[in-house]
Amino acid sequence: MAPDAENYTFLCPPSKEEQEQEPVYRTPSNYNPRLTFHLPAGAGRHYQQQYDDMYFLRLAKLKPTVEQVATDAWDGLTIAGEKVRRVDRVLDVRQGELCWVAGTVYMHLPMKPNILEDLSKENFTSAPPPLRTYTDPSDPSLTQIMLEDESGRLRLTGNFLQSTQLATGAIIAALGTENANGDFEVIDIKLPDLAPQLQRWNGNAPETGVEKEHGKIAFVSGLGITGTSSDTLALDLLTDYLLGYTGFSGHGDNSPSLGSSKISRLVIAGNSLGASVIGDVASANSGEAAAKNAQPKKYGYDASAYNASPITQLDNFLAEILPSIPVTLMPGEKDPANFSLPQQGIHRTMFPQARAYSAPPVRGDEKPEAGWFDSVTNPWDGDVEGWRLWGCSGQNVDDVLRYISIEGGNSTPDEEKDSDARIRIMEAMLRWRCGVPTAPDTIWSYPYQSDDPYVIESCPHIFFVGNQPQFKTATIEGDVPLRLDGDTEMTGTADGSDAARVRLLALPKFSETGELILVDTETLEVEVVKFGVFKGQEEQK
Amino acid sequence: MDSKLYLAENVLNERRPVTYRLLSRALKVHANRAKQILFEFHRNENAKKPQTVHATYVISGIQKAPEPAPTNGHADDEDEMMQSSPYLPSSMPNQDVTSDSIRTASIVLAREEDLEDAKSTFQSISTIHVYSLQPTALPDLNVLVDANREILSTHGQEDPLECGKQWGMIQNRNVKRRTGARPPPPAAPAVKAQGAKTSKPSTESTVPAKRPLQKEASPAKTEATKSDEPKSEPSSAANSQTSSKPSGKAAPAKQKGNLFSSFAKAKPKTKTSVPAEPAAPSAEDVVLDDASEEEAEELFPDSTDTVAAATRENRKEREDKLKKMMDDDDDDDEADDEDMPDADDEPREPTPVEQPPPSKPAELKEEVTVQGGRRRGKRQVMKKKTVKDEEGYLVTREEATWESFSEDEPVPKKKPAVNVPKAKAGKAAGQGNIMSFFGKK
Repeated sequence: MAPDAENYTFLCPPSKEEQEQEPVYRTPSNYNPRLTFHLPAGAGRHYQQQYDDMYFLRLAKLKPTVEQVATDAWDGLTIAGEKVRRVDRVLDVRQGELCWVAGTVYMHLPMKPNILEDLSKENFTSAPPPLRTYTDPSDPSLTQIMLEDESGRLRLTGNFLQSTQLATGAIIAALGTENANGDFEVIDIKLPDLAPQLQRWNGNAPETGVEKEHGKIAFVSGLGITGTSSDTLALDLLTDYLLGYTGFSGHGDNSPSLGSSKISRLVIAGNSLGASVIGDVASANSGEAAAKNAQPKKYGYDASAYNASPITQLDNFLAEILPSIPVTLMPGEKDPANFSLPQQGIHRTMFPQARAYSAPPVRGDEKPEAGWFDSVTNPWDGDVEGWRLWGCSGQNVDDVLRYISIEGGNSTPDEEKDSDARIRIMEAMLRWRCGVPTAPDTIWSYPYQSDDPYVIESCPHIFFVGNQPQFKTATIEGDVPLRLDGDTEMTGTADGSDAARVRLLALPKFSETGELILVDTETLEVEVVKFGVFKGQEEQK
Repeated sequence: MDSKLYLAENVLNERRPVTYRLLSRALKVHANRAKQILFEFHRNENAKKPQTVHATYVISGIQKAPEPAPTNGHADDEDEMMQSSPYLPSSMPNQDVTSDSIRTASIVLAREEDLEDAKSTFQSISTIHVYSLQPTALPDLNVLVDANREILSTHGQEDPLECGKQWGMIQNRNVKRRTGARPPPPAAPAVKAQGAKTSKPSTESTVPAKRPLQKEASPAKTEATKSDEPKSEPSSAANSQTSSKPSGKAAPAKQKGNLFSSFAKAKPKTKTSVPAEPAAPSAEDVVLDDASEEEAEELFPDSTDTVAAATRENRKEREDKLKKMMDDDDDDDEADDEDMPDADDEPREPTPVEQPPPSKPAELKEEVTVQGGRRRGKRQVMKKKTVKDEEGYLVTREEATWESFSEDEPVPKKKPAVNVPKAKAGKAAGQGNIMSFFGKK
């Protein structure tokens, strides 16, 4: 029964004398989170503002860029003897005139949630019910795409749009003519394209030998902890792996690149908790429940209505790995944070054990320092090992996907096609320079008034999105030598020869796939470590 | 402890699964050595008598790609080229999306019976080790999760920063952990409290009542075990001491706003008499074992606690007065509102903290009994009573009255029946007179 043991180090009896094991040290992490999505606390947060400020700011930020791109491409262009003309405002477009204009895309879709409709039906839902798509596949003509700016709206038509995908909130320049119906027949569109990308380390690498070492950044999302025993075996294996107890040992003879001591940081991209299990707490951990009952009641806390087990398990998981590896935790759709983007970090009091590793509470107006355990916002950006990261827990891609008419109606789309579509949406977001284009239209959002942080002003090196159905990665490049003059101006600090390269990561749900994604800190190459339980014959029966 | 003894006890006698990490923690050995110990035990026992011990294994390596691999299907790069991207105008040159073939490593847990099958799915294996041993084959591997949770409950107290090296954890030189009380792992408080109770049965009933005092007494923690006196005292004596203790401590102002107990509020802030017996502090210290929860809260200390408590006291009095004036029918829900979270939002009065409430008599007592996990009892509280005296004036007096309470269910408190009719009658009569007075005019 016992396997032929001799080949493997651990399948042999222990040596008589206990030899001292050499401690393995983890690659240090260079970490500089940014506070782009950090909202002011308490009284500084207002919800009275109108959302149009965000659209105005977005247009103001991106219009010059997209006009520059469009001018480079279309200036002096003649089509069928007619010279292309630039129009400043969408209302200035004259019928029959070949021209181009820049503005914000607005898409009118039949199934899109509409707050006015809800109000008129006296149907106050706390959150919009999740839809697979906002389009009506049976009648594509109901979809209207419009271009708007501060002056007005222009309906876009034309065959060209069928080969392009757009979403509300993207800033584009469109070339075409207004037809007899008053619609704008589009021939071509231009996007802002990738934002200027900083070099790694922002040009000044630290002198220490950090650069020589091949480290890893680990990404995981959708841990989906429900607190029941059924979900955590893969999590236990993940813990063991991250702590170096199991798997590819740090000695490195077998697969050196997979030694988990190279992992300098773990990024958890949302949905760490699964669907909350209401009620049957007592069976799961009666001991804990009893301990809680013994305490005096506080503020309406009711153990029968609230199940603390998922968050307790998450806390245990974090407290277990934190002594060895720093963690960046982003909240997700299902996590105990605010629902509207940007979600603020899960409060540290939710983690009675792990919070010892977090940064001390901020007093007054001090700039909060980055904690060893950093509970950050969603979306979030920051510098890890010199690379700029921009990530979201998945709401942005999920929502844009609903703008796209999926062939085949309600039947589940081909998996491969679906994940292709998702990675393309990610690329499109970078080229739109907007990480969450559909906020505030169909994603709830904080009403920003003086800034639209969703605009990506500096192109990240790693762009990740959590909680996708399956893992997918790609690299995109933004170098366009044809308009080198425009490029040098736009890329600013970047070398003219250095094309912007972005690693796109669509992170799978760990609870479904058991996959941990590792990104090499030197080459940005990606590896996957998959945790699972072998389904034996007994279970297959 | 001898490893064989430990395993025989747990696996063979208690019939529990033992994982290598549990063994590593229990015996304080390196995880890798624990794996080998498990392997040896498994081999030896099954050599003696087959099928006595079952194992699960962890296999790590590169798995063979299943045919339509969902995660590995990046083989054909043609598909990944984004030239036909629907999002982008075709005029955009140089867009280049490449996808690399991704290295996928797997770490798989398998039963002993399935080991060969599991191994056959691997293209190359880097390590195999024993994950756990259990007396029978596991129908559901998730049972092992409980074994891992046991680590937390039994060995959770060991500081991973100190012991991690011993267990074989990857060390990190840059860990930042804040100093301050380390919060206990979830199971620990219960264990602790139990320990305290069983070892000191005579003071048991006072344990809950003393909670509010723990914080201020914590410096004296070390003395706690030295004195045996409180043990010999009957519990009723201990109870009466409880009420007199704050004066012995001579630190009423330090009584922090402890939201967790309504006792603190029920007690008056200043006591006038009753010199503390010498044994009093130690009786109080006895319960300090239980202080873990309070310490955890101290991680983010709030310097305004003291003031808040004081103002709450004052506010409560004002509320009482107000209620009397409003002739509120159910004036029995007072003390419990104090726990409301918005207590701090109330405007704070600049009343001096130390100022004693004007007319509080000496002593307020309370009796506590613990029944089925609930604390019930009676306590003496000051109630304001407004009555009309012989000359027709309304006079407000404070009287000590008894009220019963139950800690677990904060139901409205009952007042002794005598009070209510008296107060009401007085007030109703007075107001009626006024109204009729105005009515006549």
